Amino acid sequence: MDQNNSLPPYAQGLASPQGAMTPGIPIFSPMMPYGTGLTPQPIQNTSSLSILEEQQRQQQQQQQQQQQQQQQQQQQQQQAVAAVQQSTSQQATQGPSGQTPQLFHSQTLTTAPLPGTTPLYPSPMTPMTPITPATPASESSGIVPQLQNIVSTVNLGCKLDLKTIALRARNAEYNPKRFAAVIMRIREPRTTALIFSSGKMVCTGAKSEEQSRLAARKYARVVQKLGFPAKFLDFKIQNMVGSCDVKFPIRLEGLVLTHQQFSSYEPELFPGLIYRMIKPRIVLLIFVSGKVVLTGAKVRAEIYEAFENIYPILKGFRKTT
Amino acid sequence: MTFTFSQSQQITPQLALQVLLQFDKAINSALAQRVRNRVNFRGSLNTYRFCDNVWTFVLNDVEFREVTELIKVDKVKIVACDGK
Repeated sequence: MDQNNSLPPYAQGLASPQGAMTPGIPIFSPMMPYGTGLTPQPIQNTSSLSILEEQQRQQQQQQQQQQQQQQQQQQQQQQAVAAVQQSTSQQATQGPSGQTPQLFHSQTLTTAPLPGTTPLYPSPMTPMTPITPATPASESSGIVPQLQNIVSTVNLGCKLDLKTIALRARNAEYNPKRFAAVIMRIREPRTTALIFSSGKMVCTGAKSEEQSRLAARKYARVVQKLGFPAKFLDFKIQNMVGSCDVKFPIRLEGLVLTHQQFSSYEPELFPGLIYRMIKPRIVLLIFVSGKVVLTGAKVRAEIYEAFENIYPILKGFRKTT
Repeated sequence: MTFTFSQSQQITPQLALQVLLQFDKAINSALAQRVRNRVNFRGSLNTYRFCDNVWTFVLNDVEFREVTELIKVDKVKIVACDGK
């Protein structure tokens, strides 16, 4: 649980010269201003499938984060400065990517972030070199997309007899003529799992990363209790879906005209405009009502970043009648 | 803990199997030929299972409602096969 005092493992990779495919910004930083209190943790390699341990671990992490939040921010700011300065030279050749205005968030930490408010400019203590041009004099939206669905996969590491599982486990369906997997559901967290005979499993329906992991562990525990030597290998979140409301109607026709490289809008096929943002690689469904659905993210920060990118564009296409 | 007739050695396992097979035949013909009325039921789902094209449900606090009368039960197990 060292994540709070140093760069998280894959952010360290980003800070190094070889690993930098995107600007060397720690992934976790954009999350902090939103005060979620739940930053995704580095992958834990515990082989124990104990649910109690999992829940205790999650509670400890939450408590640690709440206690040490201010310390972390200051340290992360300083490390982010170091990371940015290291990779600034590599970034010199990369121009601003895509045509979406890049609101630069990683360095915008203050010492006391309130949920939902993200000051754009860094505090005077931390001198920064923004990598992508920040749009001056525009505020953050103050709207936080809510996660609606998380799809994750895990490998239980052993072959499974699906008929045994379907016959002995509760809340399971198995119709091999229609689909070659057992469909199992649990109530807490409310999720559905597809369990395949190879031992691989897909877990859908959770509302947060930790819930998805906890649910996957519960399914693995069910399989283990049925007598299979189940492990918990390579848990990975494959997709995250978020949604939010900008609270004003949007002129989709205008948006598709100016952003035609990214948008596709066929009202006769589907009432929403499909916006494929390049960076981050997120697909947004934008509706006339002002509701926005964001999908395709591997991490929570991508959802937030995509929404912060699209919000000023949407404001520009606000319906005035 | 409930015991079956077979476990407590009151009948042979083979006889038990014959009873079950006869039950399957009898219930299928009875439901097809002798049942005419319709009953609605509503309860909360405790567990479900679908395997070998057989649904097994366990419901709690169920009300069986016919036009004439109402029956309430705490727990009911439903085993359902394809009607076709």
